[in-house]
Amino acid sequence: MSLIHIENLTKHFKILNRREGLRGAFRDLFSGDYRTVEAVAGISFDIEPGEIVGYIGPNGAGKSTTIKMMTGILKPTGGILQVNGLVPYDNRIRQAQTMGVVFGQRTQLWWDLPVIESFRIMKEIYKVDQKMFDRHMDMFNELVGLKALYSQQVRTLSLGQRMLCDISASFLHNPQVVFLDEPTIGLDISVKAKIRSVIQQLNREHNTTIILTTHDLGDVEALCQRIIIIDKGKILYDGDIKRVHALFGAYRTLKLQIDDFTEATLRTLTEKLSGRFGAGHGITVAETEESWTDVTIDQARTPLSDVLSFVMSSFAVEDVRIVEISMENVVRKVYDGALK
Amino acid sequence: MKAYLAMMRGAYMIGLVYRFGFLFSIAGNLIYMSITYFLWRSIYQDRETLRGLTFDETYIYVALGSAVFILLKTYVDWQMSYDIREGMVAIYLTKPLDLQLYELFTSLGFALHALTTVTLSTFLLLIFVFHIEIPLGIGLLLFPFSLVLAYLVSFCFDYFIGLLAFYTESVWGLSITKEVIITVLSGALIPLQFFPEVIRKILLWLPFQAIYYTPLTMVAKPNLGWETFLPMLGIQLFWVAALFALTRLFYNQAVKVLRISGG
Repeated sequence: MSLIHIENLTKHFKILNRREGLRGAFRDLFSGDYRTVEAVAGISFDIEPGEIVGYIGPNGAGKSTTIKMMTGILKPTGGILQVNGLVPYDNRIRQAQTMGVVFGQRTQLWWDLPVIESFRIMKEIYKVDQKMFDRHMDMFNELVGLKALYSQQVRTLSLGQRMLCDISASFLHNPQVVFLDEPTIGLDISVKAKIRSVIQQLNREHNTTIILTTHDLGDVEALCQRIIIIDKGKILYDGDIKRVHALFGAYRTLKLQIDDFTEATLRTLTEKLSGRFGAGHGITVAETEESWTDVTIDQARTPLSDVLSFVMSSFAVEDVRIVEISMENVVRKVYDGALK
Repeated sequence: MKAYLAMMRGAYMIGLVYRFGFLFSIAGNLIYMSITYFLWRSIYQDRETLRGLTFDETYIYVALGSAVFILLKTYVDWQMSYDIREGMVAIYLTKPLDLQLYELFTSLGFALHALTTVTLSTFLLLIFVFHIEIPLGIGLLLFPFSLVLAYLVSFCFDYFIGLLAFYTESVWGLSITKEVIITVLSGALIPLQFFPEVIRKILLWLPFQAIYYTPLTMVAKPNLGWETFLPMLGIQLFWVAALFALTRLFYNQAVKVLRISGG
């Protein structure tokens, strides 16, 4: 039996229609003018033990709402939702014992106290016995160097350190499933990489199921075999990451700022690139903003470094940026039928 | 249970982290006690008693009243509305914890801190600075029990307002209103003896007097005897049980409307 079973799940919110200005605010005091927002509009999926599932989508897609229903905080409006065969909302306290949750933008640690105190409190909350506690604390120490932070007040930790502590804490009681909601938000690349590897090792340690919501496609690429894309409360794609990978994984966009840019430059650039790399090279050139040229490269066919060194040697390039394809682009491509 | 005690300990430690808060609360208490001292001195002038209370009895009542006031302010309503608005409540709800007990025990941690700073310092200031003789009697013995019950009643009011934040998000106006009502009707500001007879009788039927009037009377007039004190404790106990049950029922309703936006 699957660990999480979701069938036609919906969640509606009633939201007061606010009016503008001070006068509007006063009138709102007595307003009964509500509209219904469908945050989750009928989704279905199953998650098996030990999976790491990327649950992604743009802002306001319904990711967090789904997580909050799975953790038993929010009551679904309709549909079936079972974790371990139980309905989370009706068995919140029992269910919580088998779950770990990290909300990237909030901490579960005690802000004013040294790090170790939060772990001690969590130990009591989850009734973790001393043996398991010691074993896990040693493991966290190996993974993230936790011991060095024991006596530090949580509020004085850097965002990356805090996140590593938060993630560790959510694994303390050896939960069956851990929900990681935006665990890499606001972190720089090296810290992100660290967090990803820690998540991976924690998943392996006890075959913990992990549900990861994120904005960062890099997280998903590094961690998940399966990906669920949600937008406007509906599932757009649920399946192997490899197919989605074709959409964004191999593509990088090289943004170039070329000296003395004219219409002709764009043409010569296109010609020279196809001359150098031949047909079927998977390179497209487009002018975007004032004097910036986007060269999108399919790395499966042409290495980015080759293109970059070729362009640098042939043109007077003032500035270069390399960007990954964005979440919004992926969602747009899926809408356009890229995965059909 | 150990979990809740661990959180109480954590909350107590937070109180100690902010050392200056500790010192200033004692200083503030001293200033307040001086002002009320001179105020009631001038009200009494040369009179021995007013409404059956001597100056010492009234002053103990009022000064201790302010100390108890600080002790019994749980701030649970403010904390809960903040947590609900900021979405922090999601974190508590993903833990195997009962929200009511969680709020109770963390607030007890802070209260314990207030007890060791403000309430104790008030007793010491009363005795050594203002030279008030605290009369001995069984009331003094029962005072700690009564204080615990008073705390629980006060907590229920604050928790109730906090639960309203599930509906309104902000509880600023509600909290202020609650504060005013409790301060006046509980005898925190003025002993109930100074109220007109009819109002006083009504007030004794309401839960507010269980917060201040009951424990303070036990210190101010400790020799009223068991036959007076035991029913008073019984009434307190009744209100604790009733309000705990009611707020639990209300929680089941309130948590349904929870919506946490963003993040």
